Amino acid sequence: MVSESGVEHNVIENGGTLKFGGREFRSRLIVGTGKFPDYQTMQQAHEASGAEMVTVAVRRVNLDRTQESLLDFIDTARYALLPNTAGCYSAEEAIRTAMLAREVGLSDMVKLEVIGDQRTLFPDNEELLKATRALVKEGFVVLPYTNDDPIMAKKLEDAGAAVVMPLAAPIGSGLGIRNPYNIRIILEAAQVPIIVDAGVGTASDAAIAMELGCDGVLMNTAIACAKDPVAMATAMRHAMIAGRSAYLAGRIPKKLYASASSPLEGMIE
Amino acid sequence: MELTVNGKKRTVTDGATITTLLEELQINPLRVAVQFNQQIIKRELYERTPLHDGDTLEIITFMAGGS
Repeated sequence: MVSESGVEHNVIENGGTLKFGGREFRSRLIVGTGKFPDYQTMQQAHEASGAEMVTVAVRRVNLDRTQESLLDFIDTARYALLPNTAGCYSAEEAIRTAMLAREVGLSDMVKLEVIGDQRTLFPDNEELLKATRALVKEGFVVLPYTNDDPIMAKKLEDAGAAVVMPLAAPIGSGLGIRNPYNIRIILEAAQVPIIVDAGVGTASDAAIAMELGCDGVLMNTAIACAKDPVAMATAMRHAMIAGRSAYLAGRIPKKLYASASSPLEGMIE
Repeated sequence: MELTVNGKKRTVTDGATITTLLEELQINPLRVAVQFNQQIIKRELYERTPLHDGDTLEIITFMAGGS
């Protein structure tokens, strides 16, 4: 949309576009498709979030045909699909899942997850790095989900990841950004976009990620499991814009003591 | 003949191909990917891939999920 001043609203709202792997997105928010009460609510939440990319799981077709198809509720002309390898516990499994996902023919991107432990869903970074290398070689646009570890982030970037996606906190935990200092270190060194993936609980968490200078946020549970998912999706859209704008505006430094904002001269005596 | 499709045994008529199996299962081939005996099969080859007794197929698609 172009305003009277000739400036694109969306671009201004989101502080420039998110670019990687030859793609460009106006929205910096990526939303999941899981855990919504129903597909209609999911569809409305996607719309309200302003997202242009949604992540999907790769699973066996249900041969009983009792369920509706997810793809009936995603306009693929409007939303880019980001297939994920959720539930994979080895590089081999994740690679196979990504290869099958690409064969569906709707996306050559992959949100690469290699999980190391069922209880925390923390990544197995050794296997993740192996899978990243293999899939980059196969021509995938790879977005690996990793810890908030600056060394690992750099290794993934060097392996050819198009984006690095450090977690804010464990998947679905809603704990928010547990280590903003690590995220800052990751950002300082990164040459690829950094998208916080997992752990966001509410709008302020997304805003903090963006204020730190992250390039985007991926979330699912925070929206899908909110009491009102559509209202939360709207809140997230605003949080992304607020956080990004604040980052670009440049915040004031934190200080220990007060500094008056009214002049000290001209006081009534 | 008997196949294993998505982990379940299934009987199909002789002469079946991946294309006829998908038709029988009422699956839109444009929304799935097929792994046939551990090998990923390109969509254009479905018609030319005959099925045999004991074959194992995985038919996958996109489902709701985030992480």
